Amino acid sequence: MQLEATEIHVNYDHVRAVTGVSLSVGEGETVALIGANGAGKTTMLRAITGLTRPDSGEIRYEGHRLDTMAPNDIVRAGIAMVPEGRRVFPYMSVKDNLLIGAFARTDKNGVNATLEMVLGRFPRLKERYSQAAGTMSGGEQQMLVIGRALMAKPKLLLLDEPSLGIAPKLVQDIARSIVAINRDEKVSVLLVEQNSRMALRISHRAYALATGAVALEGASKELLQDDRVKRLYLGGEL
Amino acid sequence: MTEQVIVNGIYSGVQYALIALGLTLIFALMNVLNFAHGQMYVLGAFVTYYVYGVLGLPFWLALVATALTLGIVGVLFEKFLFRPVLRRSSREESSMLLAAGTALLLESLILIVFGEKHRGVPSVVSGVIKIGDAYLPMGRLLVIVLSAILIGGFILFMQYTKPGRALRALAQDREAAQLQGVDVGTYSMIGFAMGAMLAGMAGAMLVAISGVNSGLGTWISIKAFIMVMIGGAGVVSGAIVGGLILGMIESIGYQMLPGGETYLFIFIGLIIFLAIRPHGLMGKPWG
Ligand SMILES: Nc1ncnc2c1ncn2[C@@H]1O[C@H](COP(=O)(O)OP(=O)(O)OP(=O)(O)O)[C@@H](O)[C@H]1O
Ligand SMILES: [Mg+2]
Repeated sequence: MQLEATEIHVNYDHVRAVTGVSLSVGEGETVALIGANGAGKTTMLRAITGLTRPDSGEIRYEGHRLDTMAPNDIVRAGIAMVPEGRRVFPYMSVKDNLLIGAFARTDKNGVNATLEMVLGRFPRLKERYSQAAGTMSGGEQQMLVIGRALMAKPKLLLLDEPSLGIAPKLVQDIARSIVAINRDEKVSVLLVEQNSRMALRISHRAYALATGAVALEGASKELLQDDRVKRLYLGGEL
Repeated sequence: MTEQVIVNGIYSGVQYALIALGLTLIFALMNVLNFAHGQMYVLGAFVTYYVYGVLGLPFWLALVATALTLGIVGVLFEKFLFRPVLRRSSREESSMLLAAGTALLLESLILIVFGEKHRGVPSVVSGVIKIGDAYLPMGRLLVIVLSAILIGGFILFMQYTKPGRALRALAQDREAAQLQGVDVGTYSMIGFAMGAMLAGMAGAMLVAISGVNSGLGTWISIKAFIMVMIGGAGVVSGAIVGGLILGMIESIGYQMLPGGETYLFIFIGLIIFLAIRPHGLMGKPWG
């Protein structure tokens, strides 16, 4: 497995956010992480990117121990994250937001090629190239932060609720982009979503978290048909 | 006479902008109000006094020595004082008190090393030019030109270089910047050093015109706070605008109120202004 987290525990002061979660992502896979509010999804991603230190457990990525590495080194190892709530650099232009995404890279020609790829994938960003990122719509900002993460040329892409607060039509576009990125750029994806249906449709495998622990896991196709998943995560829409 | 007021205002204003720029950079990056900014300015003046005035080396060499000294002071301040405190305490008063402490420390050190006398240096250039009805000594013109170059250079650096982008990103969203691979420790240090350098360079120019003494620091810090309040904290354009406005108001005040009430009116005006516009003219987190 490319990424392997084992028995992760994370506490914030007195809140037990994650209690013994193990999950893995294989090379080329798209893995979904679903679950209700406060289940610990964001906390798991923060542990992988080094923004929050696990209290115990082990995170391995291509043989390296991530849980002792600084966030800026984890990016260099090949993991990029699209954080919850987008977090564009609001007073920087679209262009500068994309360029800072490649901050960890030193291959200038490669960066230009990636920039072309990102602008080709999200033509909207090209139209808004000089605009301050903070003045763009939520959907445009989401494209921007996905583009920003791609600029790092990651081998593993972590996405935290890319559908949050975005018009339904755009959610479809974003979902298609994630599939395309996984397929064309050979990037493995770990996708956190509250829109469980979308996440299960575009992923190979999935984990469902409930109050800090893995409640269910398996192939996404099967989970989509699972009665417990339907009841707990897919609502009455089926 | 009005032309003289404008020329004087620009002369003070560009130096003030330089001072405010350093203060606002440190504030934006670390959320620290650098109380020692005025003392850094005074230290810069004394280094230039020593290298140019005492050792008799060229003025440009004194400027380089000043930049290096203040850069080192900035690095030491960030690494050994602010970083440990900010890591251990998220309460804002901790870094505030530390900042006040560093101001007192630096002032005492300057007093011990350079003494309490007012010090000046020989003119760097001589001559006077006339602009309309206004007189502008060449020394002051040099200060205006050098300050403008430094301000312009700073803006270009922040806007168009990779480290500049990293500093802006860090100021706007610390965590998101880390996720792009920006090392918070290194870049906070670079930012603090640059802020200290800007203060020191302004001081170096001051000593070339009107001399320096060890007691000036606190007053300069207060002026820098005023500029940042006028322009908006943490905003590059705000620091520049705030500096130019303060320089101009001061120049007008000194002309019209020879009795020394200028700052009384500036403070009253500032309080009314802040009540109406608490974020200053350009108030936003970072520009
Ligand atoms: N900085 C923090 N300090 C204290 N508690 C926190 C902090 N961040 C998260 N928590 C708590 O940890 C638990 C897990 O939070 P987390 O953000 O990981 O959930 P999530 O699954 O991402 O939820 P959501 O779908 O709402 O984003 C929650 O109970 C939350 O209140
Ligand atoms: Mg979350």
